[in-house]
Amino acid sequence: MIYTKNSSALFIIGVIMLAIWYLTDAGLLAGYLEHLGHGKPYGHTNELTTMPLYFGVIAAVVGLWQWFGKHSAGHWDYYSSSIAGGMFILLIAMLVRWFIAPEVAVGSMLLGKVGDTGAYIHTLLGLNYVVMGIVTGIIIVNVFKVPAWAENGVRLSRLGLKTGVILLGTLYSAAELKNLGGLSIIMIGFFVLGSVGIVLWIGARRNISNSMGGVLSAGMGVCGVSATVAAAPVVQAKSVEIAYTIGTILLWGVGCMFVFPIIGNLLGMGHVQFGAWAGTGILNSAQVAGAALAFQPDGIETLKVAEIFNITRVLILPIIVLWLAVWYVRREGENAQKVNVGAVIFAKFPVFVLGFILMFALSTTGIFAPANHYKGKYFGNTAEQGFKDKSLLTAEQKATLQAESSKVQRVDQQAALSRLIENGKVMSIDDDDVLRGLVNAKVLSKDADHLLTGAHKAVRHTAKKVKAFRSWITWLFAFGLVGLGMQITVGAMKQAGGQPAVIGGIVGLLKAVLSLIVVMMLVSETV
Amino acid sequence: MNSTHNVLLASHGTEGAIAAENAALDVCAEGAMLRHFIVVPDFWKGMTGDDWLNNGSTRDQFTRYLETELSAEIDTHRARVRGKAEARNLRYSSEIVLGEPDKCLLAACDQGNYDVVVMGSPRPKGKPGLRSRMATKLLNKKLCVPVMVVPYPDAES
Repeated sequence: MIYTKNSSALFIIGVIMLAIWYLTDAGLLAGYLEHLGHGKPYGHTNELTTMPLYFGVIAAVVGLWQWFGKHSAGHWDYYSSSIAGGMFILLIAMLVRWFIAPEVAVGSMLLGKVGDTGAYIHTLLGLNYVVMGIVTGIIIVNVFKVPAWAENGVRLSRLGLKTGVILLGTLYSAAELKNLGGLSIIMIGFFVLGSVGIVLWIGARRNISNSMGGVLSAGMGVCGVSATVAAAPVVQAKSVEIAYTIGTILLWGVGCMFVFPIIGNLLGMGHVQFGAWAGTGILNSAQVAGAALAFQPDGIETLKVAEIFNITRVLILPIIVLWLAVWYVRREGENAQKVNVGAVIFAKFPVFVLGFILMFALSTTGIFAPANHYKGKYFGNTAEQGFKDKSLLTAEQKATLQAESSKVQRVDQQAALSRLIENGKVMSIDDDDVLRGLVNAKVLSKDADHLLTGAHKAVRHTAKKVKAFRSWITWLFAFGLVGLGMQITVGAMKQAGGQPAVIGGIVGLLKAVLSLIVVMMLVSETV
Repeated sequence: MNSTHNVLLASHGTEGAIAAENAALDVCAEGAMLRHFIVVPDFWKGMTGDDWLNNGSTRDQFTRYLETELSAEIDTHRARVRGKAEARNLRYSSEIVLGEPDKCLLAACDQGNYDVVVMGSPRPKGKPGLRSRMATKLLNKKLCVPVMVVPYPDAES
């Protein structure tokens, strides 16, 4: 079979991308971009002048070859057939991120802030490029259908998300990973086992079959559709049971992706709190990433927390599948197929998590950022480390600090302040921490605190590679989520019903509410 | 005496289809051809949903499992209708397609010269089953063959 179609689609996508680049580079879009900035500088100019050029050239060249070239069956044909779909997703992600989401934000700001929340409606509803990208994907697949030439490429979205998670490994410090990992193991362990147990308990009381109980408990308890896909064959679920379960989970997942960020904003949750809540309370793993980016579209702190929870879920998945398989065999006796423990663990092990661990290990060696970095930022007060001489305190600034030094009572703070005044810059990472504490204590005047904050920023640098990783991660997740949106069909969601809808409703709501309470009570904003 | 010699029985595995089977058998004349047209609704294609955490092998295993399950259900369904048809000396043939039930049925009717199309009625609210309708507005508008919609089993009483 030949997969690559003789279609002009990829070439047209390339031409559209190049047109976007040209219009921006020639300044023809300047007025429109100013309008989208709504009084502030438009935030994506750098992306607009680079990405559509690079990807546009690739799409146009490969597109011409696909359009007029002769294609024959083989590995290359299969891989090349995915390029058009991949570029299709990318183009949608670009249009949503650069134009549609900012346009919605402008419209929302024109409507004014909502009541006494102090926030605009698009912020409250999490209407940003991530959510709109997923919704666009859902609209495309359900209203227009994914074109035949794009079908193979849409599957690349999974690769995009997995690559995003692997790269995310570069952004954790050892302490952060240890603390987040510990928190996620406790939260996920408690809520996964709790959900699985509740589903099986309610199921027994409502006389559902063992196969339905098995597939439903995996889906509701672990990671939604992914767990259902993994568990269905081992518990020999009937087709209608699979349809009910997946329909229910998709419906819940999409609903949660919209509702969670709204609640998070209304409750004023921090990034760690929201990431932990979404990572625990949302049934479906794809929507965990979506909700995290919906809550914090311009940063990835929430995503980092949520993805640790996702990784913990997927690591638990083989164990739960194995447990369900054994449980099912015991219940069904001779009717059930025997379980090969090794094969289940091997087949279900998430290989991409090894990539995440590898990238984290590499980052601790200092290959991407100095080994002592924290969240990609590191201390450096020499030119080699990125310190700029223009950041040295002026004589006047030193005098301002000197005049207030008598207000400082603590010996360590006095010493750190003296060294700062003497050298014009923060001299060590310990001094930096002590001076941050001094600012937080609000002992000095606003002007002095402002100078100390400036001195702190001058010695904290974001590694270039880490900065690049952050940008790639954002795009990989945007790409992946738009593509996943194209795989959420209303036909599948409409199958939500029967016992899974009832049990799923109870367990999903319990999980969301209880995990919210636990997070608000026990999880602090820092890790 | 029945005069329908070429009957299309349209079903896609719902409860209502069983009632339609019996009705289709009843309207067939002696020795008539009963064409059993089975649609696997295309929503099954979206049943891996937005799974992205699993390895390709797990997804493949799931897809193969689902195909096997659906095949087994269809085989059971066909064997039942074939048995009933043969018991009445009717000629039986079947066709299985994947797609949107109403559109698939319209295409099948265009290709065959049927006296009547027999199908089950939509599932009443509250009854368990998959959501995939064959008797749609599109079908009402475009079907050029007489159609017999058989009431849902419970609705008859």
